[in-house]
Amino acid sequence: MSTDIRAISDIDLWFSITQFYSREARYLDDLEFDKWVGLLAEDLRYWMPIVSNRIGRGIGSELTERGHLAHFEDDYVSMSNRVKRLATGRAWAETPPGRTNHMVSNVEIVGKENKMVQVTSKFLIYRSHMETDQEVFSGTRKDVLREDADTKWKVADRTIVLDHAVLMQKSLGIFF
Amino acid sequence: MLDKGVHPHFDHLIDLTKGEINRKIFSDPEIYQTELKQIFARCWLFLGHTSQLPNENDFFTAYMGEDPVIVTRHSDGKIGAFLNMCRHRGNRVCRADSGNQRMFTCPFHGWTFANNGNLKTVPGFKQCYHEELDMESHGLVLVAKIDNYKGMIFATFDAKAPSLEDFLGDMAWYLDMMLDRREGGIEVLPGTHKWRIKCNWKFPVDNFIGDSYHGPVSHGSAWESGFEGMPRRKKGYGYEGFQINAGNGHGFGARWAENEEQVYEMALPEFLDYEHDRFPETHSRLGDLRGMHLSPMHGSIFPNFSMLWQSGNIRVWHPRGVSETEGWSWCFVDKKAAPDHRDMVRIHDLQRHGTSGTWEQDDVDNWVQSTKSSKGYVGRQFAQNLSMGVAHEIEDPKTIHPDMRGRVAGFQNEINQRQLYAQWAKMMNGDTPDVPGATV
Repeated sequence: MSTDIRAISDIDLWFSITQFYSREARYLDDLEFDKWVGLLAEDLRYWMPIVSNRIGRGIGSELTERGHLAHFEDDYVSMSNRVKRLATGRAWAETPPGRTNHMVSNVEIVGKENKMVQVTSKFLIYRSHMETDQEVFSGTRKDVLREDADTKWKVADRTIVLDHAVLMQKSLGIFF
Repeated sequence: MLDKGVHPHFDHLIDLTKGEINRKIFSDPEIYQTELKQIFARCWLFLGHTSQLPNENDFFTAYMGEDPVIVTRHSDGKIGAFLNMCRHRGNRVCRADSGNQRMFTCPFHGWTFANNGNLKTVPGFKQCYHEELDMESHGLVLVAKIDNYKGMIFATFDAKAPSLEDFLGDMAWYLDMMLDRREGGIEVLPGTHKWRIKCNWKFPVDNFIGDSYHGPVSHGSAWESGFEGMPRRKKGYGYEGFQINAGNGHGFGARWAENEEQVYEMALPEFLDYEHDRFPETHSRLGDLRGMHLSPMHGSIFPNFSMLWQSGNIRVWHPRGVSETEGWSWCFVDKKAAPDHRDMVRIHDLQRHGTSGTWEQDDVDNWVQSTKSSKGYVGRQFAQNLSMGVAHEIEDPKTIHPDMRGRVAGFQNEINQRQLYAQWAKMMNGDTPDVPGATV
């Protein structure tokens, strides 16, 4: 993919991106976190604002803004460190590791530039942990993907919006 | 029996001389119901910070035990709190987590309350109620007392509760290390982490008040992968630090710096410049003990407020049944801090503590499993062990520093947890609260 992205047909682009998302999900579900980090750009912005309940004039401002507290506000280094932590063998929240299925759908290309695409998608992640703990994570991702010679795409910017105001999950120890 | 106001003695569940706690207090549903009354309806509970209500008519919702409350800045500028419960059918009159409103209208039948709790209008007051409803006595249920200590808002439903000042006691003086180390105090950033943990509410409070012992094991992975999180001595000098119990079940753990140099030596690398900036001001405001020697790390205020001072993190542990807790966690910064430092504190905090925290997530299963093991008939016959250093309190804390207050032990000592449960038993055994409307 050395050509301008805008010259690629929509169906080819869509296929390439959905394949990329499936591969990314497989790496996460198969605990191949180093490979997953390989799909992240070194100038990554990885952000999950907090959603809250608003009514009346507050409708439309449910999400925390930049500069406010967030669930994740990470970059390439901190995401790599989160992955390194899992490899220590003493990351107790993932010892034993949870069993996850990342389902990604409603993939929609909403913008194109020369080497970048903006994509929104929905996710539903099921996690089973230890004996009986069950967690479901539901939400939306807004990505900027950058064309890459090795991995086809890299995630340059990811905003994740979880649907939960009070998280019923015991922590956010997985990746989205 | 418990509901008739005859209180069994809870002292036998807490053995302070051995440091042994009966596991029943973490799993017995009757004890939990008594806690809601004797602890959560009696104590001053943290609601939030004045910086979260900057404007008239701002509000946020919170909890006092399992009771939902609305905290508002009234039209006259005063802060008040009342049950988020319509006096008609108990529906929530406010379903938002925060906002700005002068009135709260119940979505069920439309009773409308002003943001000081007064009932203002009732649909059909003439036609349906024949003007016989006593509007004045059907306002939202106000807390008995509300006050703030340097911006930290607390309230209690017990009209007999001591003043906030008396409740905090010496802890207020130590809290100045967070609230008053710079001119202007602190502010709390917008955004609250809220999440559920299947553990008894006392485990996280216990963990934060005095469990410096679990750090290297529970949090070793975070520490060695780039998420260093607490002040740490880089060289072996002087005291390691102390567990300080301020009385009334409040306590904290702090590192000890012998001099200014050691303050910087223990500082987290990303905060070093800021530490240099703020030190002279803090030192002149708070003096040697609070402004230099003590680098506070972790602590709790009885019953369910906790803090990680250096990480800019405060939180409340809301009880949600005997086996479930809802954590609410916020990030605070010195009001005087420049934008780049605020960014560093926020990112430092959220990457370590709260929902995705690389430290926090490894605590959770510990508390969950301690809760579960309190349920087995055989398991709960065996005491929760808090015996560390039971005979090794420092006899005269004034020998460490003449300004030292409270009871003090070495950094690795479970004094703070023992005093937490001592206060728990005292409250459980004590008078019943004078709660509005209560008949028992």
